[in-house]
Amino acid sequence: MTAQTVLTAVEIWCWVGLAVGVLFLLFGIHRVDEDADGAVAFRPLLIVGIVLIWPLVLWRWTVLARGRDNWQARHVPPRAVHMIAAVFLALAVGAALILSTALKQSWPDHIAPQQLNGEGSE
Amino acid sequence: MSVKYIPVQWNKNKYLYDGVLIVCVVLFLNIYIYLAPDALAHERAINPAVHNGRAFGACAFTMMTFILTIGPLARLDRRFLPLLYNRRHFGVLTALVALTHALTILNWYFIGGPVDKYEALLNSNLAYTQVIGFPFESLGIFALLCLGVLAATSHDFWLKFLTPPVWKALHYLIYPAYAAVVGHVMLGSGQDGHEPVFGALVIGGSVTVVSLHVIAAFLERGQGDPLAEDEGAWERVCACSEIEEGRAKIALLSSGERVAVFRHEAMLSAISNACAHQNGPLGEGRIIACLVTCPWHGFQYDVRTGRSPAPFTEKVPTYDLRLDGADVLVRTEPNPPGTPVDPVPVPGSHPEEVSA
Repeated sequence: MTAQTVLTAVEIWCWVGLAVGVLFLLFGIHRVDEDADGAVAFRPLLIVGIVLIWPLVLWRWTVLARGRDNWQARHVPPRAVHMIAAVFLALAVGAALILSTALKQSWPDHIAPQQLNGEGSE
Repeated sequence: MSVKYIPVQWNKNKYLYDGVLIVCVVLFLNIYIYLAPDALAHERAINPAVHNGRAFGACAFTMMTFILTIGPLARLDRRFLPLLYNRRHFGVLTALVALTHALTILNWYFIGGPVDKYEALLNSNLAYTQVIGFPFESLGIFALLCLGVLAATSHDFWLKFLTPPVWKALHYLIYPAYAAVVGHVMLGSGQDGHEPVFGALVIGGSVTVVSLHVIAAFLERGQGDPLAEDEGAWERVCACSEIEEGRAKIALLSSGERVAVFRHEAMLSAISNACAHQNGPLGEGRIIACLVTCPWHGFQYDVRTGRSPAPFTEKVPTYDLRLDGADVLVRTEPNPPGTPVDPVPVPGSHPEEVSA
């Protein structure tokens, strides 16, 4: 995958996200959240978030608009995930610290600098 | 708590919190850039632009480190709870400082050539299969993206829209982001020279963060909320005498939900332990005039109805409750949020005596 492909994909993602954002903020938000009805000033703050996670926004918008929200699921926080996150953090940070210090690059200061394409270069 | 959303909810405490934050960031940058530039004793001299970029990077790393210590510290000692109160503003400021670092570096190293700067950034190093010389820039880009998602979804709207569990799952991105930042620093500027101050900051900070999280996670597992005894549609939570006046007993139900049984003026009421805002532990809050206050952000609920006082609209599920001798039983299936349930008197107590 080339850098150009990645950048094109990012650009497409952002344009789709912007379109979703405009539609949601103009026509959807006040229908799925009563607290947003009549509240306009805060909406521009949401644009960046919508652009970044627009598939999640579309999913939640659909669920709420169809009245399929599971209210019980709102009250079951993923507390057990913290243990997994803590262990992951320990392993990942430990690996980063150990590898970066054990395999540290050394600057070749014992080699005299040589000017290329100049007098004396080979 | 809001009735209608506004761009940013500030109050006196948040002004103070944000003011201290901004002063600390300015101080950090000034010390790093002007007062102690020699703290970065590079083997090779770096120019002011790179030095400034690294100052913002160091600041962002330090801020992330502080943010990640707040959660476990508050778990281990309630005196740290005030730091949790406005942590989201801390996170947004961190994302902005990290973005400044990224833009400073990007606009120094990757402009002026024939290739677009973003393309140049992605193409500058493709040695993904080796540790020495690993493209540490990609780790920074990943972390910045995570910080961007967290900052951009920090408004209360997102909590209600995504639901607190989904929002929290999304915000667990802070863990891979922090690990990526440690890798970014250690494989990047950490390879450059002898930086005793910043090197100690990175190693000491990251080891502290990891230790606190591991300790908090294991303590929570070891001292977790007790399991309720499943008895069909009802579950035995505890004995009445175990619940202190004005406090709650939390139990994990067979459904995976946590219930908080409160004792207020010798009457018992049961509501969900998860606050409607960020799923904070309501059962660890204190009751004042029938209202329990969430220890995380101060949201309040009437324990008899699960509703926030008017004009606020937040609601949590309530649970039917009955006594079996001296034991408290709650129905496994919760009532829809905001459903009033008559409190059950504690045997042998009189509400008038307690309130007097």
